[in-house]
Amino acid sequence: MMHPRAGLKAVQHRIGALRRAVVAEVEDTNRLIYHVLRGGVVVSVSFILFAFVLRGLGGADIPPNSIAVRNLVPELVRFTPAGYLNLGILLMIFTPVARVVLSFLSFAEERDRTYVGVTGIVLLNLLVSVFLLA
Amino acid sequence: MSPIDVLLLLALAAFLAGIAGSFLGIGGGVFLIPFMTLALGIDIKVAIATSLIGVIATSCGAASVYVRDHLTNLRLAMFLEVATTLGAIVGAVVGLLLPGPYLFGVFAVVVVYAAAAMARTRETAKDRAYQAGEESPLASRLGLGSVYFDQEDQGVYRYRVDRPVAGFGISATAGLFSGLLGVGGGFIKVPAMNMLMRVPMKAAVATSNFMIGVTAAASAFIYYSQGWVNPNFAAMVIVGVFSGSNLGTRVLIRSKAQRVRFVFSIFLAVIGILMAIRAAGIV
Repeated sequence: MMHPRAGLKAVQHRIGALRRAVVAEVEDTNRLIYHVLRGGVVVSVSFILFAFVLRGLGGADIPPNSIAVRNLVPELVRFTPAGYLNLGILLMIFTPVARVVLSFLSFAEERDRTYVGVTGIVLLNLLVSVFLLA
Repeated sequence: MSPIDVLLLLALAAFLAGIAGSFLGIGGGVFLIPFMTLALGIDIKVAIATSLIGVIATSCGAASVYVRDHLTNLRLAMFLEVATTLGAIVGAVVGLLLPGPYLFGVFAVVVVYAAAAMARTRETAKDRAYQAGEESPLASRLGLGSVYFDQEDQGVYRYRVDRPVAGFGISATAGLFSGLLGVGGGFIKVPAMNMLMRVPMKAAVATSNFMIGVTAAASAFIYYSQGWVNPNFAAMVIVGVFSGSNLGTRVLIRSKAQRVRFVFSIFLAVIGILMAIRAAGIV
């Protein structure tokens, strides 16, 4: 049997390695962007599947038109299938936007002024698209 | 067809579009829109809005792998996204105003162009390493050049980006078509990046695939806010594309891409003709 102290050391070693791996993942911008994009899709799909479950459990029909963002909260509070389906779709639309925000922060951290400007314009365009006809 | 049949067929089509998208480096919209409108009889504006969501799903799914593997040129992507997002906003607004038959007509022309762009020649190591003349001052100021590792011949290629201004203009056009027709626009950007800007093919495909997500997001929300996104259709497309692109990146072997590309270009040409017929109001 392993000595308790050796065992503790082994566990500490494992945690240290794990922590370094996590830090490396976060510090590499490319990997971080990869995780944000994948994560966004997974969360979006999860809400869509949740909406299907609600519908299967006898929730109301899902209307054929998208629900405006300002009307979404009451639907979510009442746990309607349509509310969660629309939430999943909106999260899908905003996943690339989150990626641009992340790029903006990473360029700012690198003090790369040119690209903070370029990324800022892309974000501005996206903001225009959100408020243009809404 | 019952509504359930329509949903199941749409999910299946999205699944196939997801496989094709991850394999050919396209968003899958050129495939989904004709299927939704011609086969399922869905209104073209609803189809465009739905397809944009599918394009985002493809970009986030399959293309994110290229980012992790450092194939994507993040700086070049961000620079060109300034143009594609602007184009996409204009495209979406015009798309909402244009009557359906015009959209079919424009789609037909764009798809035939895509067919021609698909049937392109193979790239050699010499092409990948091509560098001649002076680097443009703008490309140098923006640090657009990059390095990538080619898995096929195990080579590391350092490349420069030529003609950034022309590439910017073409990207704006690609964005416009994306917002107008609900496609990714990769078939416009990839040849432009590869032939005009001298970006190696794989880096061009990866960068284009990465860009289509933000481009589609810029117009998708406009369609969403106007109520054109059908949540049921969009859900089928997201789930279908998600599973298709996951399978596509895992199962399919890259070496056969050239042959698939050729078959796909013929397929696209046929779709173009069908859409043109529909635009003319014969069917």
